[in-house]
Amino acid sequence: MSRRKGKKYSAEELSLQRWDKEVKRKKKLRDTRHMVRILIATMIAGCFAVLFLMPIVLTITNSFMSASEISANYGQVFATTDTGGKVYISDKVNLKFIPDMVSFSQYGTVLFKSPEYLLKFWNSVILVGPIVAFQLLVASGASYGFTRYRGRIKEIIFFLYIILMLMPYQVTLVPNYLVSDWLNVLDTNWAIWLPGIFSPFSVYLLTKYMRRIPTSVMEAAQIDGAGEWQIFRRICMPLCKGAMCSIAILIFIDYWNMVEQPLILLADQEKHPLSVFLSKINSGEIGLAFAVATIYMVPPILVFLYGEDYLVEGITYQGGIKG
Amino acid sequence: MHILKSRGKKRTLQQEKVGTKKSVQKIKKTGSNPRTRRGKWISAGYLFPSAAGVLLFFVLPFMIVIYYSVVDNPISHQFVFLDNFVMVFQNAAFQQAAKNTLTFSAAAVPLAVVLSLLLAMMLESKIPFKSQFRTFFLSPMMVPIASVVLIWQVLFHYNGMMNEILAFFHADKVDWLNSSYAQVVIIILFLWKNLGYNMILFMSALSSIPKDIIEVAVLESASSFQIFWRIKLRYMSSTILFVTIMSLINSFKVFREIYLLKGEYPYDTMYMLQHFMNNTFSRLDYQKMSAAAIMMAIVMVVIIGILFLTENHFGKDVEG
Amino acid sequence: MKRNRKIILAAVLFGILLTALAGCKKSSGGNQEGEGGVKEGSVYVPEYAQLDLTCDYMDSSAVSGDTLYISASIWNEDTGNSSVVYRYDLIGNKAQKLYELGENENVYGMVTNEDGSLTMVCGSDDYVYDENWEVISGGFKMTVYKISSEDGTVIEEKEITELFPDSEYIYIQRVCGDAQGNLYLSDGNSTIYVLDKNNQLLCEINTGDQWINSMASSKEGDVYACVDGKLKKIDLAGKKIGEAAQNIEVGWGDTLYTGLNSSFFVNSNNQVYVLDLAAGTKETLFNWLDVDVNADDVQYVGELSDGRIWAITRAYKEEGGADYELIYLTKKDRSEVTVKDEIIFGTMWMDSDIRKRIIDFNKSNDQYRIVVREYGADDYETGLIQFGADLTTANCPDVINLSQVDFAQYASKGVLEDLYPYMEKSGIKKEEYLENILKAYEVDGSLYGIMPVFYINSIAAKTSLVGEDNGWTLTEMLDLVDEVDPPYVMMYDSRNTMLWYCVYQDIDEFIDWESGECFFNGEEFARALEFAARFPDDEDVDYSERESVETLLHENKVLLMQTTLSSVQEYQMMKGMFGEEITYVGFPNKEEKGNLIVPASGSFGISSKSQYKDGAWEFMKTLIEEEYQDSLVQQHGSWGFPIRIESLEKQFEQDMTPEYDEDEEGNQIERPKTTWGYNDFTIEIMAATQEEVDAVKALIASADKISGNTDQQIINIITEETEPFFKGQKSAADVANIIQNRVQIYVNENR
Repeated sequence: MSRRKGKKYSAEELSLQRWDKEVKRKKKLRDTRHMVRILIATMIAGCFAVLFLMPIVLTITNSFMSASEISANYGQVFATTDTGGKVYISDKVNLKFIPDMVSFSQYGTVLFKSPEYLLKFWNSVILVGPIVAFQLLVASGASYGFTRYRGRIKEIIFFLYIILMLMPYQVTLVPNYLVSDWLNVLDTNWAIWLPGIFSPFSVYLLTKYMRRIPTSVMEAAQIDGAGEWQIFRRICMPLCKGAMCSIAILIFIDYWNMVEQPLILLADQEKHPLSVFLSKINSGEIGLAFAVATIYMVPPILVFLYGEDYLVEGITYQGGIKG
Repeated sequence: MHILKSRGKKRTLQQEKVGTKKSVQKIKKTGSNPRTRRGKWISAGYLFPSAAGVLLFFVLPFMIVIYYSVVDNPISHQFVFLDNFVMVFQNAAFQQAAKNTLTFSAAAVPLAVVLSLLLAMMLESKIPFKSQFRTFFLSPMMVPIASVVLIWQVLFHYNGMMNEILAFFHADKVDWLNSSYAQVVIIILFLWKNLGYNMILFMSALSSIPKDIIEVAVLESASSFQIFWRIKLRYMSSTILFVTIMSLINSFKVFREIYLLKGEYPYDTMYMLQHFMNNTFSRLDYQKMSAAAIMMAIVMVVIIGILFLTENHFGKDVEG
Repeated sequence: MKRNRKIILAAVLFGILLTALAGCKKSSGGNQEGEGGVKEGSVYVPEYAQLDLTCDYMDSSAVSGDTLYISASIWNEDTGNSSVVYRYDLIGNKAQKLYELGENENVYGMVTNEDGSLTMVCGSDDYVYDENWEVISGGFKMTVYKISSEDGTVIEEKEITELFPDSEYIYIQRVCGDAQGNLYLSDGNSTIYVLDKNNQLLCEINTGDQWINSMASSKEGDVYACVDGKLKKIDLAGKKIGEAAQNIEVGWGDTLYTGLNSSFFVNSNNQVYVLDLAAGTKETLFNWLDVDVNADDVQYVGELSDGRIWAITRAYKEEGGADYELIYLTKKDRSEVTVKDEIIFGTMWMDSDIRKRIIDFNKSNDQYRIVVREYGADDYETGLIQFGADLTTANCPDVINLSQVDFAQYASKGVLEDLYPYMEKSGIKKEEYLENILKAYEVDGSLYGIMPVFYINSIAAKTSLVGEDNGWTLTEMLDLVDEVDPPYVMMYDSRNTMLWYCVYQDIDEFIDWESGECFFNGEEFARALEFAARFPDDEDVDYSERESVETLLHENKVLLMQTTLSSVQEYQMMKGMFGEEITYVGFPNKEEKGNLIVPASGSFGISSKSQYKDGAWEFMKTLIEEEYQDSLVQQHGSWGFPIRIESLEKQFEQDMTPEYDEDEEGNQIERPKTTWGYNDFTIEIMAATQEEVDAVKALIASADKISGNTDQQIINIITEETEPFFKGQKSAADVANIIQNRVQIYVNENR
């Protein structure tokens, strides 16, 4: 404000042209400053990007190392005790990004020699696929319910959803076991599917989003004679497509990495997903760990590359309109 | 679904008829004409599957947790009321875990919010390769947890990379995972994993702030700090709340990484409430686990409540 | 672009839907199986029959349809071994003598031919040995006979000894034939000899260093072998063992038989399954335990044309020889079978002795049936979690094997039933049992578990060095080691084992559970660490380089022996090995009580949630009653000591009773009861003296703790954190502080 006042002093003598010039000069100054700022920002972003990318690159490149190279790099790095917590101990660690010699031996082992990895991979797909599909289905209905005709009771229920969503999995682990036992689904995929499908997480996300659709849009449709189903199907769903995709990605990644649930709810190891197996991989198979992890990363990466725009787009709406 | 659909149609038609016959005044008076009332029921119907599932798989289990918290053990089911709470509250391990979880969340969540906001603003300042950077920052989401843990071991082990770097500068070795630095390591891991997603959320919020308001402010020679503080932040208050909640959720998930790093009983600065619950569960001390869970839930309700109140307070004037 | 995306999205969604459907189908199928215990599905019901022939030993067999050809031997003091080949009608249960073999002749294997004849590969020798089992004279002969399967007349006879010129003795383990009439002889190690129709050696197939477990011809007429745990076809053209059959897994101990309706009929360790090679499927028919058969006893098994399964089991008789029994298993619908109340026996893994008890119980009890649930079969950690979780649900096992789980934890949670009232009700007096052993499973006057058989885990040393007390402290032990300074402290003394003996055997040394204090940062622990650090890493020790135990002990080059004691005879052996008086001084311990009790075949408790507590007790009772406890005496106590005092006394009495031989002049000369050995050392055991028995008694009385009471979690922490110390990267104090920190959390949590 003060600067503007200062300008006003001399403004009386200045012609409109000069005022314009002044603005342009300022803008130029701003531009050069801006350039420097952008340069710095780019550099910082670059540094961060390197740090952020390192693990993923490391995982992928190391998967092309032969077992001997891995053990040479990490010494007896990844020696574990027999059970429980993992211990990796080495004399010297040598982070290496480029393998001396590209070797596909790890992949050979994973893909052809021991079918268990592929089997576990398939287990992951079977466990996660239905959860993503049906959680979205259930959540879209629920979100619509929460969005239309908001009232006190619904708000309370919604708050309850948020609290439940925030509970760490450890809290409901045991009761979930008991409920699964009671429903007689213990040790079947249903024990994982059912709690997954009804998880409040996506309901929360989708409701947050759907509530930003102006009520007027729905009301207009209603006045035009659309029933609830039509409003849901023809108005809400198309508007939420991006959000659904972004939520699908989140759920997918979350469940793709699940460890605790299968450990407790599926006694049969044959049914365990690859994520459980990966988390238990021990010293002898450390070379494999990278190859298995890389293979395991393929679906998330595909989902990501395909859906990244949705992820951004889906959330954009969120900040945009306030309901 | 099909039945629902046709029924909905019929009803709307009927409503239309009723609407034309009866006067409009009635709607104005009560605000709940048969049409909206019916709509309420139908919309509640949409809610039903999820609500039923949540009831069965989340509320019911939570009730079981409450039940376990007031009995002496899962076998004999003797009612002891609040004894478990007292016992757990006085338990040194629980206190340690609560303290750690609290300090971790209190440090990690704000850091995640602030840093990701800074990152978002950096990317929003029209730097080149914006979308590439965005992808890079999101990449940690894709790495399987097991690999993350593996790499963190390589970095922060006593003989790991970090100590080699320190040795290069002739500094003393630090036992990252077995000292008070352990929490720092975990915070770094947490930030590394979650900054990307948070950043995306902020970026979209930033880009959707009405451009004209900012342009006006620029013309009015408002400092960029003012623009940020007075305008952008206000417009993003709901996103900030959202990011905070997401970060809070994810801050609880970091247990999995700690567990894979150091097992059930890590160095005491890394010992979280989830460790306490997980361990008491595997030792059949359900009552301890349940009491701890309920105390945690109560704290959580309070925190979320406060967050909502703050958001309401800040967000109101922007909505206008 | 946009359109493309839509198509991809649709494809992905469709894929997800498909997997979901596939998953649903699969799981609902699995679900039904899970509930199969109710009324669905079918079960095999056993019928027992007396075998229509008497013999001491059966060896080779061949099956054609419902006819079994088998060679059986009878041992006679005067005439020696005489073997007869029988033709056995399995449906009619009728044996017919077919062919009598010559003296010292054995049937290595036989094969039925398509023309109805029977080909037998026989070996015989007339070696004469001196007292060191060195051959003095004699030779070895191998013959192939072709006999009529109707009356046993010899159609063809050919000696094939010269086919194996290099070998002084060849033992053929298995024989089978293929569709072309070739004969495959496997020596059981790594060679398969193939003979053609004219008994000429076609080729010799070597598997390298891989063991041939089993060999049989498939229904399709190809010969396969179980090599190295994999099913491999024998490639006659290539004269080698083929690649492992894809997607079919066989177990290490699986025995293959030619299948009737599928390629192979396989007897695995504890189950029977059929393999279909063409379809690549494996179908489990039944578990032996479920049909009340002890899998260890099964000798032969096969299918009958009427769909039944037959099996011949062998049970060794105490006086020598064996009892054979024929069992028919008929597939019946579950609803046709009278249902008994099922008692679930929960255990981490199955002990063979207990399995025998369970089968006996199931056979004899009309009301209850014990079903075994083995938690630790796949993965110990997961199994343990599962076990714990099950104990709180309705899914809980009725009888719990406590020896592999944390007993104290379960007892304090009220998972277990007090057994004293049950003992009282059944009229079993607790005074009849060893008090200190019972007490090991006692908490506040309630008995939560019983171990029917036990042994003692301890450290033995010369009495001249350690005195006569059955106990010492860590300091005393370390002082002695420093004083004597032997080349080896123990025979097997790697770092971890020393840590085990000094720390893990009794963790209470370092943890005060009452006050919740830990003492890992104290001097005692540091000393134990420093001590353990003197020893090499597990992988770096080569024990085979060391001299024999006996010599080392005599020369005081080995100071201590970690050992278990399960009989007086073992004590006698140890004493003989040391060459002088010994003391079981035990593991170092603050209270000088380091002799630890180990359950020999498990220890058992009853779940307090069980529906069939009385049934569970009925089974438990059989384990401590006179009959079973006395049967342990008969086994010369080689498994452990019975917990019942009277039975234990009987065992001692038996150990003290000398056995005599009569020499030519009619004098009674005491003969050794048995021979014991430890590595190269062997000793003949004579009747025990009263002193020896007393020493063992005193030792048993001194034990009051169960071995290995240390929680795995603590062991994990210590092994993990001591590693850098042993590698010289961290100081003992640093390591001790970290251990103190981490174990403290564990202790706090459990208070």
